[in-house]
Amino acid sequence: MELRDFKAAVDDWLDAHESELACAYEGIGTLDEQMAQLRKVLRLTYDAGFMRMGWPERVGGLGGSNLLRAYLGEVLTAREFVEPGIYSMPEVLAPTMIDYAPEMLAAEMVPRLLRGEEIWCQGFSEPGTGSNLASLACRAIRDGDSWRINGQKVWTSLAQYASRCVLLTRTGTPESAHKGITALFIDMDSAGITVRPIETMHGAKEFCEVFFDDVLVPLDRVLGEVDHGWSIAMDLLPYERSTALWHRASYLQRRLEQLVAAAPAGSLDPVAVGEATELLWAFRARSRATQRRLAAGETLGAETSIDKVLVATAEQAVFDLVAQGLGAEVTLGDDPASQRWRAELLYSRAATIYGGSAEIQRNIIARRLLDLGADR
Amino acid sequence: MESTERALFETGVRHATESGDGAALDAALDDLGWRDALEADRPTAVGVLFESQGKTTTTSAALDWLLASALGVEADGVAVVLPPLRQNGPPGRLDGDWCVVEGLGTAALDRCETALVATQTGDGTATFAVDLGLLTRRPVQGLDPALGLFEVMGEFETAWASSQPQPADWPATAALGQLALGHELVGAGRVMLELARTHALERLQFGRPIGTFQAVRHRLAESLVSLEAAAALLDAAWEDPSPVTAAMAKAFAGRSARSVSRNCQQVLAGIGFTTEHPLHRSVRRTIVLDQLLGAGTILTRTLGADILERAALPAAFAL
Repeated sequence: MELRDFKAAVDDWLDAHESELACAYEGIGTLDEQMAQLRKVLRLTYDAGFMRMGWPERVGGLGGSNLLRAYLGEVLTAREFVEPGIYSMPEVLAPTMIDYAPEMLAAEMVPRLLRGEEIWCQGFSEPGTGSNLASLACRAIRDGDSWRINGQKVWTSLAQYASRCVLLTRTGTPESAHKGITALFIDMDSAGITVRPIETMHGAKEFCEVFFDDVLVPLDRVLGEVDHGWSIAMDLLPYERSTALWHRASYLQRRLEQLVAAAPAGSLDPVAVGEATELLWAFRARSRATQRRLAAGETLGAETSIDKVLVATAEQAVFDLVAQGLGAEVTLGDDPASQRWRAELLYSRAATIYGGSAEIQRNIIARRLLDLGADR
Repeated sequence: MESTERALFETGVRHATESGDGAALDAALDDLGWRDALEADRPTAVGVLFESQGKTTTTSAALDWLLASALGVEADGVAVVLPPLRQNGPPGRLDGDWCVVEGLGTAALDRCETALVATQTGDGTATFAVDLGLLTRRPVQGLDPALGLFEVMGEFETAWASSQPQPADWPATAALGQLALGHELVGAGRVMLELARTHALERLQFGRPIGTFQAVRHRLAESLVSLEAAAALLDAAWEDPSPVTAAMAKAFAGRSARSVSRNCQQVLAGIGFTTEHPLHRSVRRTIVLDQLLGAGTILTRTLGADILERAALPAAFAL
């Protein structure tokens, strides 16, 4: 289906099903409420066929370009049917499965993710492994017809809801760095997994610690090749910085629009409003070009770090305005709308930290795009 | 343009801007068929040339050609009077039967006989074509002598104009000029970044290239981010070059080039502060271009004030 026809069909369908899709709660809701809303919207859009567009047929999709996915997420976000952070996770996880999982496994699992039947998580960071991802230590040892996993992950988003996890493990020597990492696709109900949600500054328990205690995983759950998990992680990160970010831009535009409509006269500095708008528009222009490159079959790489730096900068610029224009709501308000502004303002502080910090993105840009060589 | 055609065009334009300036560049652009390209594919013609001019710190009559063509005049030897520094309105205003002119001219003014003066009328803009001899011009040295700007002023009786005034859409015309200047600012930013990058790789301190220090790397990375964002915004603005999107793109490109200038000057440090190094040319050019056809800070404040007044954002780019 062409993008233009898809847009018209989606828009009509959303108009007709507005009341079914609408959020069942006011304000930001609890994480449980957000997850229930997400599952509902995924299920409805999957059954209507839209959620399957832009994904390959061998994983239950209906084919077509990634632009269809970009548009669907854009409108679902703009209409506030979903929260973009949790909605966009399949944009990262599904391509990894499509590219690296055994065919049967991908065909079996990906549709469950797309229709909201299952939530998945991504086990990358560890207590001692933040920006230096290649130093990860969570161990996987071959034990008969299984992998035996011991170790810990942290900042694992939505692990408490997840049925599966794309897990990076150490299979080489402790010194093997990026050469001894293996990606596994594991069932979160396996014996020996403990999940402990962490409450964040913005009041949600979105991130978790995940402990692995002699967890057994079948050998055929390896994604890609043993000891070659680093390349999977590297291939996955550009996905995290493409379509998902287009969805986020839509959310930021929506919130900025609501801010300028709601802010009392005189509360916002016109220069700051102009600068934030220019920045957000520049980010949208950049992100749209990225979606188009992806649609043209280009492989995304280090240049998506530019998109990531921009979205984080734009998000903080927008919410810096919120702190000014809706100062009373943010600091004193206890109604649902104020709680939502406050939570989102606080969450925006993490935009330069998660998904590869602003510093790591600049390191990537310096090394890979400016060709400045190693930094030591 | 198709990709092979575009690549050829880019090579030709790059060569032209690297080997000639002023009148010589005008001639090279005519040989290349730049004005035909402007008719056929305006975004590519303008984007490629002005980014190249920014990179090479050269000037040509192309801004005059672009604005004249937008005002409906295709003749040779026609300069377009630009608004005064920092401003973006038409440079002429009516005072009875007289047209009072206050504005700027590009270096190409010296190679022209006729000036087009966009003039504010009751509810719109009209363009007068007048003999340049009727206006006073002062060659500007100022901050960037190589840019060769002129201050243009004077007044003429409208009956003296060489043709009847033509109704004109000055905001739409100025928008095209802003996009051209935006590309030129991005080009200026790119050359500053390349100079700083080369220096960071070659300059040794503490026994290693300064480009191995994160403080330096991050300044350069930040510069690239901001230039790529500005370039993307300019490209997107061409899809619907309205005065609002063009002003955003120009202001953002100016802010980006100013921040690149600051970062690269710091990385180039002492040598970049001398006239023995080329950086100063681009630093000068950036400051001036940022203030032509609407100063970036004014355009940004106007955008913000309009948003607040209407309580609505400008039209967004559709996928």
